Amino acid sequence: MTKQVTFLMCSPRGDKSASYSLGSYVTRLLEEKGIAQQSFKIYQIIKNSQKIDEMIKSIDGSDIIVLSSPLYIDGAPYMTIKLMDIITEKNNQGKLSKKDRLLFANSNAGYLEYYHNNIALRIYEQFAEKNGFTWAGGLPIGAAGTYAMYPIPEFLKMLEPLPEDDPRKEIYEKPTKIIDSVIKTAVDHLSKGERVPESELKKLEFIPMPLQAYVDSGNKNWIDTAESLGAKDKLRDKPYELKK
Amino acid sequence: MSYLILNGMYKDDSFIPKINELVSKELVKRDVKGETIDLHKNAIKPCLGCFKCWIQTPGVCIIDDYAREVAKKMIQADNLIYLTPVHFGGYSSELKKALDRSICLMLPFFRVYKEEIHHETRYDKYPNLIVIGTLEEPNLKQEEIFSELVERNVLNNFAPKHATQIIYHSDDESTVKKKVEEGVRIVGDDND
Ligand SMILES: Cc1cc2nc3c(=O)[nH]c(=O)nc-3n(C[C@H](O)[C@H](O)[C@H](O)COP(=O)(O)O)c2cc1C
Repeated sequence: MTKQVTFLMCSPRGDKSASYSLGSYVTRLLEEKGIAQQSFKIYQIIKNSQKIDEMIKSIDGSDIIVLSSPLYIDGAPYMTIKLMDIITEKNNQGKLSKKDRLLFANSNAGYLEYYHNNIALRIYEQFAEKNGFTWAGGLPIGAAGTYAMYPIPEFLKMLEPLPEDDPRKEIYEKPTKIIDSVIKTAVDHLSKGERVPESELKKLEFIPMPLQAYVDSGNKNWIDTAESLGAKDKLRDKPYELKK
Repeated sequence: MSYLILNGMYKDDSFIPKINELVSKELVKRDVKGETIDLHKNAIKPCLGCFKCWIQTPGVCIIDDYAREVAKKMIQADNLIYLTPVHFGGYSSELKKALDRSICLMLPFFRVYKEEIHHETRYDKYPNLIVIGTLEEPNLKQEEIFSELVERNVLNNFAPKHATQIIYHSDDESTVKKKVEEGVRIVGDDND
């Protein structure tokens, strides 16, 4: 019988999100291995009971669940927690049959360091445990906004022709190649019904550029965007300051 | 001195209301005045992840609903208290729906703080943070995740002082009372 994967995309930013870009890359590679995919954009279905039922049916028939989420305030966003609440409730009502299912997660942080995602991934692991899913591991991605702009394959194609001494080789191409390789190995394991080995996921434990360089470019980006929206001079406003 | 309790209980929880009452009483005893917001009774839309509260309408979320009021009350309190079931080791969705909408309280700008990337402060003063989680029974793994989550939050929300307490449904009355007292102990008058 054909294996099946359910993709749970938890970012409200839709197709423009890192969660979509990275999660859909995983599920597309699974599809290439003959695993049928059903995907759900959680922010579109969260209030629609019919769609929720469809999602539960899909999970019920799935061998693999891929949950891809942004990191909000050091943990799972509201939307992702609500999703876990719903799945747990339906599971408790007996809507999920007994079956081996792997849960693989991806958490995307705005900060540069991958490890900000670790708490969220442990929360997803607890969710898996509570629901009888086998925790297959998680991808902690830092500075994930890059992948919201450029999906991995396109990004690598863009970076490839750059001369070897171009700094973007070191700060973008090298880390992206590592993430790409970890994802491909993860997909190999998942497609065989296996967990992704810790040793593989550990390869993501790197910080690709000096913190200050990230701070400087990030801050310039905020100012430029605010300027284009006519809000540059208001960036430091304190609208809720208590009047003494 | 003021407090704000964000009650993140799910609507059929009968345990957290008791804790809420004990915490408020304890605070009033210390001459701290404030209020509880029962989040499950308030409609709050999910964060859109658009960052417009940073770069378009700085300091105010573009969605005009009750979350704006919550964010305002959060920053104006001297002491902020989260009440939540420990939920897969994290916060309840009820609590999180409001917290996600509160990033307007910090600046978009990054800085290196304690050798990590964090944000800059928007306001001159931030509330102390007390987080009280409830669990049916002890669960070491979840408690560990929960405590670490609070520690990480403190780095990001600039609380000058903070405390975490986990209260079990099975705790007897005097233990519950002790934990609540222990939790609010950090509330002094030096943050007035
Ligand atoms: C409400 C909110 C809270 C956030 N909190 C954090 C955080 O605690 N740590 C972090 O590194 N990034 C944080 N971010 C940034 C997002 O995690 C980052 O932009 C991520 O790439 C978004 O993923 P997406 O494109 O899939 O939505 C936050 C963003 C929002 C909107």
